Amino acid sequence: MNRTLFAGLAGLAILAACSDIVSPVRNQRYDWRLIVAYDSAGPRLDTLSFHWPRNDIPVKMWVEDASDLKARAREGIALWKDAFLYGEWDAKLVDDSTSADVIVRLLQPPPLRAGAIRLAANVQPCFGATDVDTGSTRNEIRLPIRSYVFPSLPNDPGLEDCMRHVTSHEIGHTMGLFQHSTDSLDLMYGVPAVDFLSGRDVGTAENAYHYKPDMVPVRP
Amino acid sequence: MRIAPRRLLCLALLAPAGLSAQARYSASLGLLGGTPLAHDQVFQEIDVQQDLAPTVTLGVSFPVSKREYFGLETALGFSGVTIVESGSPDVMGPSFTTLSLTGSVDGPVIGPLRYRVGAGILKYLPDKEGIFAEGGPLLLVLTAGADVRLVTRGSFTLMARVRYDYQRFTTDQLQFSGFSRTQDVHRLGLGLGVDYSRP
Repeated sequence: MNRTLFAGLAGLAILAACSDIVSPVRNQRYDWRLIVAYDSAGPRLDTLSFHWPRNDIPVKMWVEDASDLKARAREGIALWKDAFLYGEWDAKLVDDSTSADVIVRLLQPPPLRAGAIRLAANVQPCFGATDVDTGSTRNEIRLPIRSYVFPSLPNDPGLEDCMRHVTSHEIGHTMGLFQHSTDSLDLMYGVPAVDFLSGRDVGTAENAYHYKPDMVPVRP
Repeated sequence: MRIAPRRLLCLALLAPAGLSAQARYSASLGLLGGTPLAHDQVFQEIDVQQDLAPTVTLGVSFPVSKREYFGLETALGFSGVTIVESGSPDVMGPSFTTLSLTGSVDGPVIGPLRYRVGAGILKYLPDKEGIFAEGGPLLLVLTAGADVRLVTRGSFTLMARVRYDYQRFTTDQLQFSGFSRTQDVHRLGLGLGVDYSRP
């Protein structure tokens, strides 16, 4: 019995030689932060980061029930959710728009409200926009964040693909990715043409959600 | 202790028919805790800590000598992870399920105490999201432990169990995300179980 016991323990000790997992270097990213102009002491720029706090996850998203927009939004949520290893971001569709953190409408973007910043994706045959209102302090995001997806050429054969790209792209903005990539292979390129996340999209999302945020969401 | 390989083979092949009379069956419920599953760094250090895992274990063992038994155990564990990131509050991460199959030898130490040493395979099953979304490869798991006989009533014995196991952790999603090498994970569990032997 003793020989077996000692052999077993010796085997454990040999195999238990220290080994640590090695995480990847996450330098594949583009800048996601919002650049805000303010002029209390002359024109200046501030670069601000935002991600949804963990206790606001899943983000409550109201999506207009028109032209498969809900299905496109579900695809976009699933796409971005898969970018994260530790459940940093998720969203769910809600029925009541008054309690929503994000509102996505099938609508031509209305005139921009004073103080808000519009992130627009101009693609044919559809386009999208997300309006971010940083409030008077620059350190707040006024909720709900509003996104718009609009079919500019309703009979175009490429409309379905366009709606898919643009909806996922706008959801990326609502997550806190407030800039466009300069690489056309990224979903967050200013003229999105892909319906998958590139390594840079994933890296940027991961970076954004582990970077200290400057802004907090403020509900009405 | 000597366990003739031929005898072991025969036991494995003929156990259901020939040795059922000598077989010992067990079922137990326990809690397993362990060292972090992974370390990461995105601006800050991130530790992926495993939560306590309720684990159900079923086993069968056969005598291979006057004192020792060889047994097979399968265990199903349910748990989740807590993400510990410096500068941020701890948050719940994805959940996971493990399934393991181990073969082990157990024998008496002193009085009601028995040792157990074994090895087997362990798999992290695919889950909904995050690092467990694709599940994991088959991992080698090494186990050691002790059983203490508490109460015997007829063919049933109430046992207290202590289990230690060691694995080199990774998952398919971690590998896909660029993680390399594996993480040493040590787990320790306590449980209560019932052994049944035919009278």
